[in-house]
Amino acid sequence: MTPMLDITRDVCPMTFVKVKMGLSKMTTSEHLEVRLKEEALKNVISSLKSEGHKIVRVEKQGEIFHMVIEKSETRSSTA
Amino acid sequence: MKEADYKELKKGGMMRQREAGHFSVRLHVVGGQMTTGQLCAIREAADRFGKGTVHLTTRQGMEIPSVPTESLASLKEFLSDSGVGVGVCGPTVRTVTACQGCRICPSGAIDSPALADAVDREFYGKPVPHKFKVGISGCANNCMKAEENDIGIKGWIGPAWNKEGCTFCGVCEAVCPTKIVKVSEDDGRVSVDLAGCIGCGDCIEACPTGAMEEETRGCQIFAGGKFGRVPSLGKRILGVLRSGEEAIAAIRAAVDFFRIHGKPRERFGDTLRRTGFEALENHMTERMGKSA
Repeated sequence: MTPMLDITRDVCPMTFVKVKMGLSKMTTSEHLEVRLKEEALKNVISSLKSEGHKIVRVEKQGEIFHMVIEKSETRSSTA
Repeated sequence: MKEADYKELKKGGMMRQREAGHFSVRLHVVGGQMTTGQLCAIREAADRFGKGTVHLTTRQGMEIPSVPTESLASLKEFLSDSGVGVGVCGPTVRTVTACQGCRICPSGAIDSPALADAVDREFYGKPVPHKFKVGISGCANNCMKAEENDIGIKGWIGPAWNKEGCTFCGVCEAVCPTKIVKVSEDDGRVSVDLAGCIGCGDCIEACPTGAMEEETRGCQIFAGGKFGRVPSLGKRILGVLRSGEEAIAAIRAAVDFFRIHGKPRERFGDTLRRTGFEALENHMTERMGKSA
């Protein structure tokens, strides 16, 4: 089952820190599902992209976005 | 000293101080950039010719206050030998302000310091009907407050939507600060109303699939802004300019328009309210040889 991380109550930069920590416990190609709010979208997605992770799916359900991330090989990051 | 002499000194950046026989000496700073060598020289100058203090101005400038009249010439010589220019005041093109731009700032869309240098080289201290300020923001975050300047520049990243790859997830619509991106999965399209777009690039940065792409990068130009006693914000003119050269050509045309139509001691914005902003746009379009 895909692990789920809820960051709807967090604010930047904890939003991305938590996603990063979530991903760090996983192995390459595994999926992580994240629940987040609109205000976290831009920073979380742009950080994930710059770290090379793949965003498999994003769905909006009411005010909450559900995002599925596929972990990639870790590469040095500036995020 | 005669009033005319004070005026002449003021034009050259030496402002009469409340304390008789003393001046605050404005320095030439471009886009808030100084080398440590220049700072060391300024420190020494302030110690030797002033009272050991330096004032940081609101527009990224520096002044050495409390310089006695008889020290002005030697201060100027000392600064010049140390690679520090003396500033300007009066009816001239003033200090060009700029952010750190795309070489330093992760948000930067354009190289603001490079553009500030180019503007400074061509226009700094040149005569115009009234003070004329140019401010350059590298992106839509607008740290340099483009609309508060006679001419303001703001970096621009324009989006374009590609159907291929789009999953209609709604992220672009959610992150758009002006809500001009609309996702309509039923119609199978995402619309971008570029007329209301501020060129922040958030929709591009946040798009998980790359369906929202960068189509244009450049800058927008704002004319006629000022602060002071009666503040007014500059208005956006022309379309997106694609290069530093185009931005310089635009400023050249605007300065030229101000020289032709501006009255003495009339700010650019007041001139434009008299002539209409369209008159400026027509003049610029003609001078720049491109359509607005």
